[in-house]
Amino acid sequence: MAKNDLQGTLDLLVLKTLADNGALHGYGIVLHIQNASGEVLRVEEGSLYPALHRMEQNGWIAAEWAMTETNRRAKYYKLTAAGRRQLDIAQESFDQLVRGVRAVLRYA
Amino acid sequence: MAVFRRIANLFRRSRIDREIEAELQSHIALLIDDNLARGMSAAEARRDALVRFGNPTATRERVTAADTMLSLDALAHDLRFALRQLRRSPGFTIAAVSALALGIGANTAIFSVVNAVLLKPLTYPNADRIVEFVLPSSIANNLANIPEFHAYQRQTSVFQEVAAYDRISPGFNLTGERPELIQGIHVTESYFRLFGAPVVLGRTFTPQEDAPYGGKVVVLSYHLWQRRFGGNPDVIGKSLSLGNEPYTIVGIIGPQFVSDPEAEFWLPYQFPPVSDDMNHYFLVAGLLKPGVTLEQANAQLKLASVQYRRDFPRSNPHQIFRVAFLRDAIVSDTRSSLLVLLGTCGLVLLIACANVANLLLVRATGRQREFAIRSALGAGRGRIVRQLLTESILLSIAGGISGLVIGFAGVRALLVISPAGLPRVGENGSALTMDWRVLGFTLAISLLTGVLFGLIPALSASRSDVNSMLKESSGRSGTGFRQGKARSFLVVSEVSLALVLLIGSGLLIRTLIALHSVSPGFDSHHVLALDMSLTGDRFHKTEAVAELSKKGRDRLNAIPGVEISSAAYWLPIQVDDGMPFEIFGRPAGKNVLASRWISISPGYLGVFKIPVLRGRDFNENDTASAPGVALINQAMVKRFWPNEDPMGQQILLGRGTGPSLQGEPTRRIIGIVGDTHSNGLSNPADAMVFVPVAQVTNGYTAAYTDTAPLLWVLRTRGDPHQVIAAATEQLRIASGGFPVAHIRTMEEAMGTSTARQSFNMVLFTIFGVVALILAAIGIYGLMAYSVAQRTQEMGIRMALGADRDTIRKLVVWQGMRLALVGVVAGIAASFGLTRLLSTFLFGVKPWDPAVFVSAPLILTAIALVAVWLPAARASKVDPMQALRSE
Repeated sequence: MAKNDLQGTLDLLVLKTLADNGALHGYGIVLHIQNASGEVLRVEEGSLYPALHRMEQNGWIAAEWAMTETNRRAKYYKLTAAGRRQLDIAQESFDQLVRGVRAVLRYA
Repeated sequence: MAVFRRIANLFRRSRIDREIEAELQSHIALLIDDNLARGMSAAEARRDALVRFGNPTATRERVTAADTMLSLDALAHDLRFALRQLRRSPGFTIAAVSALALGIGANTAIFSVVNAVLLKPLTYPNADRIVEFVLPSSIANNLANIPEFHAYQRQTSVFQEVAAYDRISPGFNLTGERPELIQGIHVTESYFRLFGAPVVLGRTFTPQEDAPYGGKVVVLSYHLWQRRFGGNPDVIGKSLSLGNEPYTIVGIIGPQFVSDPEAEFWLPYQFPPVSDDMNHYFLVAGLLKPGVTLEQANAQLKLASVQYRRDFPRSNPHQIFRVAFLRDAIVSDTRSSLLVLLGTCGLVLLIACANVANLLLVRATGRQREFAIRSALGAGRGRIVRQLLTESILLSIAGGISGLVIGFAGVRALLVISPAGLPRVGENGSALTMDWRVLGFTLAISLLTGVLFGLIPALSASRSDVNSMLKESSGRSGTGFRQGKARSFLVVSEVSLALVLLIGSGLLIRTLIALHSVSPGFDSHHVLALDMSLTGDRFHKTEAVAELSKKGRDRLNAIPGVEISSAAYWLPIQVDDGMPFEIFGRPAGKNVLASRWISISPGYLGVFKIPVLRGRDFNENDTASAPGVALINQAMVKRFWPNEDPMGQQILLGRGTGPSLQGEPTRRIIGIVGDTHSNGLSNPADAMVFVPVAQVTNGYTAAYTDTAPLLWVLRTRGDPHQVIAAATEQLRIASGGFPVAHIRTMEEAMGTSTARQSFNMVLFTIFGVVALILAAIGIYGLMAYSVAQRTQEMGIRMALGADRDTIRKLVVWQGMRLALVGVVAGIAASFGLTRLLSTFLFGVKPWDPAVFVSAPLILTAIALVAVWLPAARASKVDPMQALRSE
């Protein structure tokens, strides 16, 4: 059974975002997901930050304080090698979930 | 590593909190920036940002939770909870910790001693290849003669080195500015290579120096060099005056070399290359060639014995050369006693663990309701198991640490009570240190105990059905059946193991009593013994020694307080020398018999009050020119003249044993004396011949004065210590300036003969008492808990009319039933196990009825006390209170 909870999906979104954009701060991640999903997905900050910290503890992403273009200090996250592997796993897992859900919907 | 980062995060909590706060604030700031860029007013931008962000405090908490691992928090929580639980039931905690501490402490102490004596190899570099030549002949204890030594030396296919050395130091008079008596031994030049003695200065003997007429040379120990010469390196080539004869110093041996027997210097033996001297008087060690096994060496030696008998037809025809590892020889009888001790320790530890297991089981049962409630409130099974495990591991760590403390103290205490003869513990037990293996051993045991015995109740507590448990324990009327059985089993085994130990110590106590009541065959009270070294050419003649003996005795006898005195080479408790003899008038062939023999001067029998049963004692007229005479003991009569009267018969000692007994006169048996236990109290008396010091051959005298001190013994009217100064002075005058050493009363000398038995007894008594205490704790713990659990039941019984007496009887009987089953099992086990002790027993059977009756009685009495206390408490239950208490 694939790991298909919603937290896993959030992880996937964040990992994919960081894989495509290099280093981003939390706000940047929220904006990117919002834009990339055509305003369909809106990530809650209350979920995002715990997820970011958990992924950091797991060693999937690394964080670093830096200045933004607007000259504010912000914590930037970027993908690690372990995170890249995790992205593959999460992607596969998500694909499986989608296939499963599709199959059920078709059957019904 | 993620786990380490999380653990680190635990300790940097506040810093991380600040960082999270900063991160969230920066997010809000960026949001505000964008709002401003979209054209909102500052206030509006801020309000919108905060609304969209939601509750920052809640978010921060969730982020923090993600940062620290939940389980770590839980561990800390478990620990805190466990500590609180243990504090809340101090009785349980103290009982469990002290049970573990006693078991682990005893084990640590014994393990340290066993480790030093048995497990650590001898300090010699090639200890695993050093062997000792063993002679299974009854004539002398492993002593060899020169022809045998040469035969050993020829076995170069199996031995790399063969060396001879003195059995004991005869003592030497170091003359010069500060005269003193010092210990040194004769060795062959191979000795130093064989034992790997490190040379710090100069060299050891050359083969030329170890040959006849090789000159007077000496090798010094480091300590003697420091003491006499202040460590001066110019000492090589200088001379050392031993017994007024100058010896040239050729080398110094390093301080780490421990010589056995003890020696401060070494002299070369200078054996002749060819000899037919059959006198056995030295020890021989060999160094096996690398790769040669003991069996190969012994096979080779068997062949060598055949050749040897061909070369020396008069040698003992049954003699087969054999070697054994020197280490095994040194620890031989200590080994078995230490192994028994180790087994005993194991039993004690087993009892301690059973005790703790029992206490944990009882406790878990008592807390079933607590677990049921927690489980009903959503605590996972894993969490409950973890909680219980935390508690039991905490207990075992506490027990382990206190056990180590007891162990440290125990090692010191063991040294204080250990017999002086316990080998290889070093000076003042310096070699006896607590090493890491001991530490690991102890900690592993305590942790294992905790995990193992914590797990059983933890699993059974968590497995139970919540519903039924809530029901059962709410009734508080009794405890689960299965666990009750497990607990009873533990108590029964505790009691039976304790009884085994108790019976063991009882047997050893009886042994010691029996030994003390053995009459050694002589009176050891009011006897003083002093050694005097007679090394040197002056005392190679019998006449000189006889003269000294006469002069010395005359002077000693004149001291007020001295009843009678004598000179000899052996104390009656330790006569190691044996000699073949022939009885005149018996058919030749089977006529070569062997007995121990000892030369004494007149007065010896009087000093030790050895009775003359028939005939007469030696007197001053039994001189070298008078007819040869001998005394024999009763054991000798029984063995060699079972149906004859030996009085007046003639014997010839030591024919064919070589030049040292050439000229030995035919001796007429003039008297029969009482038996003495010449070889330790626990051994039967040997057949023994006494001859006058004045009537032995010059060769005998020379062999003795070179290898053993002359022994002065005197019987005093009062405390022997009071004549020491006068005796020392008179002997100095009589000998022309010789010092005496090794002054001891006969009782002191005897003490070492029973020291091992008393040591064993003390240890076993300690174990017995510890086991008794542990068993009492076990029974008490079980009954006390059971009574506490059944308060309501007691209340109901009382409400229904049971009186206090009935209640008390009920509880007492329940506890005593377990104790009695344990006692029966223990008696059965003891019958099997005490047989292992039989080698340590003397004068008592392994199934001694007195011990097998009294030990169970003592244990039962203690158990009764342990049961009585909770029973008394149960009978004091107030029925109303008990019924309301739930």
